[in-house]
Amino acid sequence: MGDTVLVVGAGPAGLSAAANVTAAGYKVVMVEKEEVLGGAPILSGYARLVPSGEWAKDAIGRMVSRVEEDANCTVHKNAKVTQLDGEAGNFTATLSNGETVKAGAVVLATGFTHFDSINKPEWGFGTYEDVLTTTQMEQMVSSGKIICPSDGRVPERVAILLCVGSRDRQIGREWCSKICCTVSANLAMEIKEISPGTDVFIYYMDIRTYGLYEDKFYWKSQEEFKTKFVKARIAEVTASGDGRLLVKGEDTLVKRPIVIPFDIVVHAIGMDPNEDNPEISRIFGVGLEKHGFIERAEHYTNTCGTTRRGIYSCGAAYAPETIDDSISQGAAAGARAVADLHALVRKAG
Amino acid sequence: MAIHEKSLIEPERLLKHDSLVVDGVDVSGHWNTMIAPRTITDYDDDFEAKIQKYGGGENVHRCWQCGSCTNSCTVYAQNVQFNPRYWIYLIRLGLKEEIVKDKDIIWQCVSCNKCTDICPKDVRPEGVMKALSHWMEDEGITGKSPSKIFDEEFLDQIYKTGRIEDGKVVQNFFKKTGQSLFQDWLRVFMLRMMKGLPIMHLMRMGWNTVHTPRTRSWGRTGEVLKAYVQEQKEARHG
Repeated sequence: MGDTVLVVGAGPAGLSAAANVTAAGYKVVMVEKEEVLGGAPILSGYARLVPSGEWAKDAIGRMVSRVEEDANCTVHKNAKVTQLDGEAGNFTATLSNGETVKAGAVVLATGFTHFDSINKPEWGFGTYEDVLTTTQMEQMVSSGKIICPSDGRVPERVAILLCVGSRDRQIGREWCSKICCTVSANLAMEIKEISPGTDVFIYYMDIRTYGLYEDKFYWKSQEEFKTKFVKARIAEVTASGDGRLLVKGEDTLVKRPIVIPFDIVVHAIGMDPNEDNPEISRIFGVGLEKHGFIERAEHYTNTCGTTRRGIYSCGAAYAPETIDDSISQGAAAGARAVADLHALVRKAG
Repeated sequence: MAIHEKSLIEPERLLKHDSLVVDGVDVSGHWNTMIAPRTITDYDDDFEAKIQKYGGGENVHRCWQCGSCTNSCTVYAQNVQFNPRYWIYLIRLGLKEEIVKDKDIIWQCVSCNKCTDICPKDVRPEGVMKALSHWMEDEGITGKSPSKIFDEEFLDQIYKTGRIEDGKVVQNFFKKTGQSLFQDWLRVFMLRMMKGLPIMHLMRMGWNTVHTPRTRSWGRTGEVLKAYVQEQKEARHG
């Protein structure tokens, strides 16, 4: 149908695309594989978002209810697109729940998958209870209590290791995940706020708190919350024998090996391409770039395009992306889809 | 075989027993030489706060290790061992033993303040160098500097008498720093003074140096003052 856009994925980007399509007077059919809307911030239980400081469930919750209350938006949860026929202006999608959707354009807001720390076994995740990921630490912050999962004691020291699953040729992740530096600085402040007796150390290679995140997160965490930044890429996390963890590496500024005791070690995990991308690529007939994210069309005059006409994309489906920028890109992708429909309507009229 | 290039290893990390027998085998002397690892095994979490309590060290926690201070440093241009950026990092993590290794050069800061002008985070490295020097002095890691000795002589006289006798300050300062009283400049100074014949002044100076009179109604003021200064210092540095 010439007045409908199919939006795949109900994270920040997809919810933004849907709201912008209906605001322009067209219809949306939304397909989400999980049983709740909201994407990673809701599914993984993020705490306060960067840079607004609003709780994820409130901020993203508003986006969810805006779409759920929208009469022009039909939502299919627990569903996937299993087949897509037709061409730009006249697509027919078959869903896993047996429904068929006719749409003039498609927006793929299929997002990313968190890096699984099991793939870096030397850093102790899965071996030691007190080695966590940033998403687990976010959940701990949401619970309002900072404790060691192993025995419930309040940690004296927390180490956050940056670039876990990013910038690592050894495991085929040659990209920077863009958000982890800022998220970690934010997390360090949240930890200190809840547990003032806990000292937080961030082990880094470079700090990439770009743009306005510089003073609001990096400087603030250092200057007001006494977060210590140590330049070292950690080699190994082991047990100390007395219930603590030992973080081993080389402090590159002192040019000395270090073996420092910590109570909790947090992996600042990166963003992988959505693990379903090979399937998405096959079903929607769109190409993937060399890392496995959705391939971007020529950007200057085909913004939010993919390798297939009439199919648009946005947010972390393209590459590691912030929540705010995913929302902006979702709006842009919605606008591209609407422009296609508008051209169809004019032609038919 | 002895260790080659021993000069590259800090002497305190070379462990050797002059006589040692292991399982009946005599391994005395260089046969049992071991090298202790260079590994850093802990941070002193309170050290940064300690340095911040010294004047000039307040902003040390702001440092992000860009190296602008070292790059602009007058002394670094002469001696690459003089590295403010490095010491600031050691302060932040509390690696005291590493700092103490450089005790003989840290005080060489000439206070040109180029580092403070250039620092993008307003750490004021020149102040940090001062704070560090004062901490080392307080801990007895370095000896008293001439200026510290001068200050002490000056204060000592105030506490005792409520006034300063220039002649006595100069005399005691030279004595405590092991310098001759017959400095060329001092001789010229005295000669010129005598040329103007301020006889009464010279006589009063001489008299005061010998008798060290107290300011009128000084009473216990000196003791109270001294106790107050000590109290302030303890409140600051614990």
